[in-house]
Amino acid sequence: MRKIISVIKREYIQIVRTKGFIIGTILGPVLMAAFIVVPILVQFVSVDKQEKIGVVDLSCEVFKELDKKLDQELKDGNRRYILQELKIKEDLGQLLEELNKKVLAKELAAYIYIPENISEGGIAEYVSEHVSDFDKQGNIGQALSSIIIEKRLRGEGLDPEKIGQYMRPVRLDTKKVTTRGVERDAGGTFMISFVLVLILYMTVIFYGQIILRGVIEEKSSRVVEIVLSSLKPFQLMAGKILGIAAVGFTQYAIWALFGIAATKYSGNVVSRFFPAAANFPIPTIPAYIFIYFIVFFILGYFLYGTMYAGIGSLVNNEKEAQHLVMPVTMFLVVPIMLMMFVIKSPDSSVSVILSLIPFFAPILMLLRISVLLPPFPQIAASIVLLILTTILMIWISAKIYRVGILMYGKRPGFAEIIKWMRYR
Amino acid sequence: MDALKIEKISKRFGDFYAVKNFSLKIPEGTIYSLLGPNGAGKTTTIRMVMNIIIPDEGSIQVLTEKMDDKMKSRVGYLPEDRGLYPKMRVGELLLFFAELKGIRGQEARNRIDHWLERFDLANWKFKKVEELSRGMQQKIQFIATMIHQPDLIILDEPFSGLDPVNTKLLKDIMLEMKNQGRTIIFSTHRMEQVEMISDNICLINKAEMVLEGKLSDIKQQYGKNTVILDYDGDASFIRTLPEVEKIDDYGKFMEIKMKERSDPQDLLNKSVGKIRINKFEVREPTLNAIFIDKVGESNAQDNIGH
Repeated sequence: MRKIISVIKREYIQIVRTKGFIIGTILGPVLMAAFIVVPILVQFVSVDKQEKIGVVDLSCEVFKELDKKLDQELKDGNRRYILQELKIKEDLGQLLEELNKKVLAKELAAYIYIPENISEGGIAEYVSEHVSDFDKQGNIGQALSSIIIEKRLRGEGLDPEKIGQYMRPVRLDTKKVTTRGVERDAGGTFMISFVLVLILYMTVIFYGQIILRGVIEEKSSRVVEIVLSSLKPFQLMAGKILGIAAVGFTQYAIWALFGIAATKYSGNVVSRFFPAAANFPIPTIPAYIFIYFIVFFILGYFLYGTMYAGIGSLVNNEKEAQHLVMPVTMFLVVPIMLMMFVIKSPDSSVSVILSLIPFFAPILMLLRISVLLPPFPQIAASIVLLILTTILMIWISAKIYRVGILMYGKRPGFAEIIKWMRYR
Repeated sequence: MDALKIEKISKRFGDFYAVKNFSLKIPEGTIYSLLGPNGAGKTTTIRMVMNIIIPDEGSIQVLTEKMDDKMKSRVGYLPEDRGLYPKMRVGELLLFFAELKGIRGQEARNRIDHWLERFDLANWKFKKVEELSRGMQQKIQFIATMIHQPDLIILDEPFSGLDPVNTKLLKDIMLEMKNQGRTIIFSTHRMEQVEMISDNICLINKAEMVLEGKLSDIKQQYGKNTVILDYDGDASFIRTLPEVEKIDDYGKFMEIKMKERSDPQDLLNKSVGKIRINKFEVREPTLNAIFIDKVGESNAQDNIGH
């Protein structure tokens, strides 16, 4: 056991000291923060320019109101939309023809056609080269709707003072029901769970690769036999995997500290620069998700880590390893591709089965847990299956490793590997 | 007492016998050479002794006990395929190796300093291994082999890649270890080193033992049937002389195996005047000749067998 500890210590110190680890540990949270903060910033710091929009108002009563309502401002304080009322000179068809040309010539960003009977259910049109700016279309649509609805309400003889009150939009609060009751959730929990699953995926792949590279380095530098004169191949493999696991936990611990600090102070910082963002709710994640995260990280790490170690022992250099690593990495990529499906129907039987498959379980079961906590027997079953598979993989990898680590030259074929496993 | 006792071990890889029915006893406090051509089974035998691979049959006793983890700390092993962790510093690497052998803390640090001093590497303690030359790395490997003062030292091709100065240093250390009562087993191709320091030898060819025993006894068996000739000139006529069975000509130096009951004096008489003779010595065959003889013989038998 003391020998394994020496190996663990060596692995740990050697990796923690590398520039890669230091940079990755610091850069990780920075990138993570960037992923979360940048979209928010983009949302609040739109860099659009002013747009000229033509309005053909056949009802003759909407333009003024619309011009008043579409008062969104750009960052520099100027109006985002400049509306221009266009009157019919000869006939409508000719005017619209002219406007189409203007849009194509980019003199106008778009034009809005308002029919005479807009109040009675006539259909307005938005015509532009690009019809995918949902933000702008939403603005215009909302403005038109409220103008027309206000108009109708006034027509019913309602007090204009009160109309504003009646028109107040409804606030929709998203809540999530779990076995422990109802919790407020504005989508943040889900976002964070999504991020946790991605962290698990990336760290398992990342540390798997470190194991792979470590085994190949030991083999290609020919140090392995000197080490094996002191301990068993299995002890070396176990020490390596455990040592690198310790590195992983160190990294997680540092990230967790970053995270705690960020949630504590980031609110102040963000709201100072972007007051509008202050209302963005900081999501809280239930503790059980973290616990399952750790459990599935450990199991996933050992499952994939031993596979990477076994593969490392088979090859002479990293280039050779890539071919063999591919199928293993696929096992990790497939659940990532299935994520969207599982999110949409977390308790469908397909999702249940997928999340029980040991190779997918770390990612998909964790995802299901964070989306919609599955019944405990399902979670327990996936964990037990995962543990059994991991033990099987350790057994297989150890058998391959003890022979492969001392074999140089041609990469063995499948039949040969099976033969190795039968060696005493 | 035997430092190593191997009884009838065999190891197969698929259909290929790497070692076949191999037995050996190595007395304590001796230097023992394992000889044999490439692929003869030396490294596999050594790996089985080190419990790195497990024999299919037979048993191995190291220092009168079965080899296990505890015994590994009484054995020092320098493999043929040897290297170091390139990114580690010399000092911490040796500390790691010492720890694996159960030597820790200050004791380990003292021994590391002692050996680095001895091998003239004290200034390199804090350098990374990858900055060292190959020869220096090899010296670090020797230190790793001997840091725990093992009773049995196994060196697989220890001299390969060493310059004459370091070869001498290593030879001196091997003799010093022997004088301390430790047992040294080493494998090599270089016969002149074996002749100079080995007490016993074992010749392996094609997974099987061909020759084993005390070096002096083996040489006596062959008797004084060999002439060492140091000469200048054209000595090609010697090949055709009736007294000569076989020659190994190096251009200025020739090892001549005489036919049975022929007189070396006749050879000398016939050579005088034809070549310039600097040295003419009648002696036992060199180990080199015995090696080539035995390996050639067993390969020839093999060919007949097929």
